[in-house]
Amino acid sequence: MQQKDSWLLPDGIEEILPEEAKHLESLRRKILDTFACWGYELVIPPFIDYLDSLLTGSGHDLELQTFKLTDQITGEMLGVRADMTPQVARIDAHNLNAEWPTRLCYTGTILHTKGDPLEKTRSPMQIGAELYGHDGKESDVEVIRLMLEMLAMSGLQDVHLDLGHVGIYRALSRQAGLDDAQEAELFDVLQRKARPELQELMAGYSINDELKAMFLKLPQLNGGKETIAKARDILLAANGEVKEALANLEAIADKLTACFPALPISFDLAELRGYHYHTGVVFAAFVPSVGREIARGGRYDNIGAIFGRARPATGFSADLKVLSVLGKASYQNEQRALIFAPYLDDAALNEKIRDLRAEGLAVVQQLPGQTGTAQELGCTSVLEQDHQNWVVRPLASLE
Amino acid sequence: MLTIAVSKGRIYEDALPLLAEAGITPIDDPLTCRKLILRTTRDDVQLVIIRATDVPTFVEYGAADMGIAGKDILLEHGAESLYEPLDLNIACCRLMTAAHKDAPPIAGRVRVATKYVKITQRYFAGLGIQAEIIKLYGSMELAPLVGLSDCIVDLVDTGNTLKANDLEPRDLIMNISSRLVVNKAAMKMKHQAIQTLLDQFEKTLAKRG
Repeated sequence: MQQKDSWLLPDGIEEILPEEAKHLESLRRKILDTFACWGYELVIPPFIDYLDSLLTGSGHDLELQTFKLTDQITGEMLGVRADMTPQVARIDAHNLNAEWPTRLCYTGTILHTKGDPLEKTRSPMQIGAELYGHDGKESDVEVIRLMLEMLAMSGLQDVHLDLGHVGIYRALSRQAGLDDAQEAELFDVLQRKARPELQELMAGYSINDELKAMFLKLPQLNGGKETIAKARDILLAANGEVKEALANLEAIADKLTACFPALPISFDLAELRGYHYHTGVVFAAFVPSVGREIARGGRYDNIGAIFGRARPATGFSADLKVLSVLGKASYQNEQRALIFAPYLDDAALNEKIRDLRAEGLAVVQQLPGQTGTAQELGCTSVLEQDHQNWVVRPLASLE
Repeated sequence: MLTIAVSKGRIYEDALPLLAEAGITPIDDPLTCRKLILRTTRDDVQLVIIRATDVPTFVEYGAADMGIAGKDILLEHGAESLYEPLDLNIACCRLMTAAHKDAPPIAGRVRVATKYVKITQRYFAGLGIQAEIIKLYGSMELAPLVGLSDCIVDLVDTGNTLKANDLEPRDLIMNISSRLVVNKAAMKMKHQAIQTLLDQFEKTLAKRG
C-alpha cells in the first residue's frame, strides 16, 4: 500500500468520530439501562472463540460470514464472532443453568466477512436481548415490547412491525414430505415471493393438489390483520401445527395492539428470515425511508441443546450504529458545558479543577505553549481568578 | 407516494400499456424532456427512468418502491433482497450462446465474451465446461469476429444482429421476460397501495392470456 493511502480503511470497516461516538455511546448506555430496568442482565461474551462453538446450533448460516484464524498455541481453528446470539445461548445453557426464566442482554462489535448487501458494513455493533426458559406467547410479546422501547429510545418515528411464523412453512413442507433440496429451493423462491418460479417448481413436485394450492398462495399471505383470517381459509387443509401457529400469531398481535394501539402491524406468512434456526414467531421492525428491517428477532427454542440443555428462547437484536444514525435527527445535541482552565502552578486552581470534575463537569486545562483559544477548543466557559477565588465565567459574557 | 423504477427503451415502451390499465400514464415524455422523475396521471405515483442494470439497486435500497426489470438483470445482480411477485411477460427474448457460423462445437476450455458474468459462469459450470469469461459492456458480436473470444452469451431477440455479423445462435440458456420487483420494506409499509397495483397488473396479464 502506498504511504499516502495509509489512512484508508478496509471495505466495510469504519471509525466513529467524536460527535457520532458521543451520540452512539449515550444511546448505548440508555438502551442498556432500559434493558436493566426490564430485568435483563448484561453479559459480555468473548470476541473470539472456537470456530466450532460459534457455528453450532443457530450458527450454521454464519459459516461463510465468520472470519477464521488459527490459534498459534493449539493449532485449533478460531473464529471472530459474526453473531453474539449463539454465544449468549451458550451462556444460558451451560454457565447459568437456571431452572427459571433467564433474561440476558449484550452489545458488542461483530465482524462479517461479506458486507451486508445494503448496509455495506462488515463491523456492525450488535445490541440485543434474549429471554430463555419460557415457551409461551407472553415471552415473545415481552421481547417485542422491549425491542419497540429500544427503537423509541433511539428517536425513531413511525415504526412498523412485521410478524411471521416459520412454523407454517415448516409444517407444510413436512406435510408434503419435501426432501432437503426441495425445501431449500422452495425457501429461496418464497424469500423472493417469486410466484412465476413457484408455479414452475410446484408443477415439478409430486405432492397432492391441495398442498400445492397452499404453497402457491403462501407468497400472497401478507398484509394487515385480515391476513390471519385469509390464511385460515386458504390453509384449511393444513395440519394442526399450522392452525396453532396462526392462533399464536394472532394472540401475539392482539396483545401488542392492546399495548400500542397506534402501532401498525403487518403479517407475512412467507417471511422466513433465519428459517434455519427460528422455530416460531419471527418479527422485524421497519421505518419509512429505509428499504429493509432495522431490528429483527424471533423464537428459537432448543438451541441450547447442543450446549447441554434445551431451553425455549426468544429475543431480538439490531445494529446500534444503524439506530444511532437513523435516530440522530431527533437527538437533541445537548451541548455539554466544557470549562477552560489556565495552566498555572497554583494549588487553589488545581483543587478547584478537581472539585469541578468530581461534580461531573468537564474541565480541559491549557498546556504550556499551546495554540488555540478557549473558543477554538469548543469551551463554553473559563476558570478565572476573582480576588482569592477561582470562579467559572461563561465565555459569551467576556466579549 | 409510490415510486416505480423503469428503464428506458423497450421495457419502458412495453410497460406503458400495462401501467395505463392501472391508470398510470406519464405526463412527461422521457424522449422529449430531460427529467428523470416523471409525474403521472395518478398523483400518488411517479416514475423514475434509470438504466436497466440500476433498477434492482434502486428498489432494494427503497429509493424506488417498485421496479420493472428483466430476469437477466435480476439474475446477474442477485435479487435475494427483493420481491419479484409477477412475470409481466413483456420485453421477452432469449439468453443464448452464439458463435461464428463456421466455428466448431465447444471442446475443452472456452473463452466467452459477455456482460452477464455471473450467469455465464454458472451456466458453463453447470455443463462442466471450464470457461474463461471476458466482461464486455457492449458490441458482444464483435468479440468472436476479431478473435477475442470463442463465443458470446447475450440476449437474442430477432437474431438479425447475429446474422449480420456471421454469427449463429447455439444454445438456449433461458427465456427472459421482465419482472415486477418490489422493495421488501415497501411491501410491508405501503401494502395497500402496492397490493392494489399488483392485483391490477395481474388482472391485465390474465386478460392478455
